[in-house]
Amino acid sequence: MNSNETAIPDHRRSTLESISPVARTPAPRVRTLGTSLAALVGNRGARERGDRPDDVARDPTGEADPIAVSEPEPAVVAAGLTKLFGSREVVSDLSFHVSTGRAFGLLGRNGAGKTTTVRLLTGLLTPTCGAVTLFGETLSRSNADALRARIGVQTDTSLYESLSVRDNLRFWGELYGLASPVIERRIGEVLDVLGLSDRVDSLVGELSKGMRQKLSVGRAVLHEPDVLFLDEPTAGLDPEASADLIDYLKEMIRTLHTTVIICTHQLQGLESLCDDIGILNNGHLVEVGEVGDLLHRRWPERRYLLTVSGDLSIAKTIVASILGESVEIAATDGNLHFSMANSASIAPVVTALVRNEIQIQAVIPQQRTIQDLYFATIDDGNGS
Amino acid sequence: MIDRQRVGAVMRKDWRELARNKQAVAPLIIIPMLFAVIIPTAIAILGDNSVLSSSINGLQGFLNNLPDGVIPAGFSPAQTVFYAVIVYFMAPFFLIIPVMVASITASSSFVGEKERRTIEGLLYTPITDRELVLAKILVSVVPSVLLSWVSFLVYTVLVNALGAPLMGGHFFPTWTWAIIIVVMVPLVAFLATCLIVAISGRSSTMQDAQGSTVLIILPVVALVIGQATGFLLFDISVAILASAILLVVDLSIFKIIVGHFQRERISTRL
Repeated sequence: MNSNETAIPDHRRSTLESISPVARTPAPRVRTLGTSLAALVGNRGARERGDRPDDVARDPTGEADPIAVSEPEPAVVAAGLTKLFGSREVVSDLSFHVSTGRAFGLLGRNGAGKTTTVRLLTGLLTPTCGAVTLFGETLSRSNADALRARIGVQTDTSLYESLSVRDNLRFWGELYGLASPVIERRIGEVLDVLGLSDRVDSLVGELSKGMRQKLSVGRAVLHEPDVLFLDEPTAGLDPEASADLIDYLKEMIRTLHTTVIICTHQLQGLESLCDDIGILNNGHLVEVGEVGDLLHRRWPERRYLLTVSGDLSIAKTIVASILGESVEIAATDGNLHFSMANSASIAPVVTALVRNEIQIQAVIPQQRTIQDLYFATIDDGNGS
Repeated sequence: MIDRQRVGAVMRKDWRELARNKQAVAPLIIIPMLFAVIIPTAIAILGDNSVLSSSINGLQGFLNNLPDGVIPAGFSPAQTVFYAVIVYFMAPFFLIIPVMVASITASSSFVGEKERRTIEGLLYTPITDRELVLAKILVSVVPSVLLSWVSFLVYTVLVNALGAPLMGGHFFPTWTWAIIIVVMVPLVAFLATCLIVAISGRSSTMQDAQGSTVLIILPVVALVIGQATGFLLFDISVAILASAILLVVDLSIFKIIVGHFQRERISTRL
């Protein structure tokens, strides 16, 4: 591997190492997405994407072989962003970048500064200090409109309720300069992918909240943006629709190398989408980086759950004899919980237990999640 | 540079929304009907009836203060009343039509989008400030002008048809009316819409905006009063002078509005 190559991220690799299916990312459910997405990607050929590195490869499921990839160019760079409203500092000295074709989760409580950050990154607000760079250009009033043509933004509302689904999407396509036949084709593709094809002529006001939510995402991706900002895209969606939407976004990132910045409170399962995250607390970016790195930095040791049958106290003694007395082992209801820095030690533990006729029902790596990291980080902030 | 596709897209979208809003469409039909059909029909039927002149506020004063020489010589008292009312008294009312139509359509422009929280999505798109302001103005100006012109055509046909027996043939329109309708109506509609868009951009609810737009109607009401009292009679010279002033004011106001349009202020007041 040469110096400018990086291996697949740890958090993705760890899924491959999982022994138990419990910890695995479920295979993408492409029930409605499969053929539609293939069509979507196939039709994309008409649009030049020369600015995107072809060798960027991702595997959102983490089930493919690790592939060496070049570090892509940053699509979005925030450098020392500060925004004051009067004397109130809403965001303070934010610095991060999001590389092309990666998904960045911007997390934080209500009022933490997420919406203000998105408005700063899209040129709706002018920073009090600092600068935003989009696609290598410093964002300013003179180029903001042109740069926004390469951006898609999904917000919590903003659909026209008295207009039909088709009219809403057609209007958006016209604003982004798409030709009429392209708009019609994209409307069909997007609605097909989102499962809204049969509602194309319905008024938006007649749609359920979940359908509107999907439509707002559909509108944001209609023009195939290079950077996609999503604000709580799965809010109001049932679990199935939510999973479908996440699958769609992953497929979009994989095939079109779209850069996604997602603001959300729904942290469960976010690691299957996000490569990087930033955690905002009271306007300060208290954590930022690659998900795997952040998790590893905070919890360098891997925690395991062993479900065994037989004498639990003997099992505990055996594990302690291998891992050392300093390792804390909790034994409850036929389960042993323990952490260790070196995952290679799990094999001797299992071997020793089997030799001592302790039956092992399951060995489950207890993976830390973005949700764990989020709460731990926020707790740190509250404690300090 | 203005992108016509984007401006047109916003206009078509707003008109589709307007067409589905019955509360907004009803006054757009009633107001022109009142000035183009109901009032001239009443005047034609009732002629110089004293009940009519007392029921139309200011009409009697207008007739009493009519300057010499504005009515063609040789008209009978009935012809004089009919001619004076149709040609002079009604002229400023046709400037009220674009203002009132604009007040209905334009006050729902920015503030309507703000109220429905749709404006933020629009601000994230590549539409420029100039394009957005122009689109929102044209959304109101075009129907205001078209409705005024249609009203004028109806008015012309009606007063000529109803007045022919009394006046002895076609007598309408005059050159003053041609200038008012062709030049002044678009300029007044543009000015009123600009001001309403400016107000609605700073209002937080549609009611606020509509309340403020009443202030815009006041100068036109002043014209009506001036006409009614004979103080400022709409003849060709007044119409040309007013048009020239309006053109300068329109261009200045548009430039000021675009210059003061700030996405930041709009997005932070949502």
